[in-house]
Amino acid sequence: MIDLSSNIRQVIEGEDVALFMKGTPHMVMCGNSMRALEALRRAGAPISAVDVLPDPAIRQELSAQSGWPTIPQVFVRGELIGGADIVEELEASGELERTLEEKLGPDYRDEREERTLAVTSFAAP
Amino acid sequence: MATDSIRTLLAEAFPDASELDVEDRTGTGDHFQVTVASARFQGLSLLEQHRLVNEALATPLADGTIHELRIKTKGGAA
Repeated sequence: MIDLSSNIRQVIEGEDVALFMKGTPHMVMCGNSMRALEALRRAGAPISAVDVLPDPAIRQELSAQSGWPTIPQVFVRGELIGGADIVEELEASGELERTLEEKLGPDYRDEREERTLAVTSFAAP
Repeated sequence: MATDSIRTLLAEAFPDASELDVEDRTGTGDHFQVTVASARFQGLSLLEQHRLVNEALATPLADGTIHELRIKTKGGAA
C-alpha cells in the first residue's frame, strides 16, 4: 500500500523546485501548467515535475497539504510559491530568480535539469 | 451565468474593490480570468493576495464550476 500523503510531502520538502502539473514537461496537458513550466525554465530553475492526472487523489491530497485549490502549484524548498499567474508575475519582475538564488544559492542555474517524479506506484515515469 | 455568480462572490468578498472584472476566456463558462483591485491587498504577498481570491471562490473551485482560473490582483503595493 502506497502512502500518497507522505510521498507528496517528500517531494515538496525534498525537491529544490517542485512543480505539480497536469501532464509532464514533455507532454503538458494544460495551459496554466505550461505557463508555470515556461516561467520556471526562463528563470533557469531545476524542475522536479509531478503529474497530478494519473490519480485524482494526488490533487486532493496536494491541495489538502498546501491549502491551494488549483493546479499547477510550485514549491521552492518546501515553500509554496504559487500557481501559474504568480510564478509568471514573479518571473517577469525578476523576483522568482531572486527567490531561487536566496533558497538554492547563486549557482542554482548550474544544476538545471528537468525530471518527472511519480507519487503513486501507477504513475507513468 | 457562472460569470455573474463569480462576480457576485468577489463583490461580497471585496466590497471595497475599485476594479472587479470577470472574463469568460473561452466562452464556455468554465475558464475565467478575474481581476480585482482592492485596498485589502495592501502589504500582502502575491501568494496571500491570490489566496484571498481563491477563498472567495472556494465553492465554484471545489464543485468544478471553475475549470481554470487566472487571477490578477492590484493594489498590493504599499
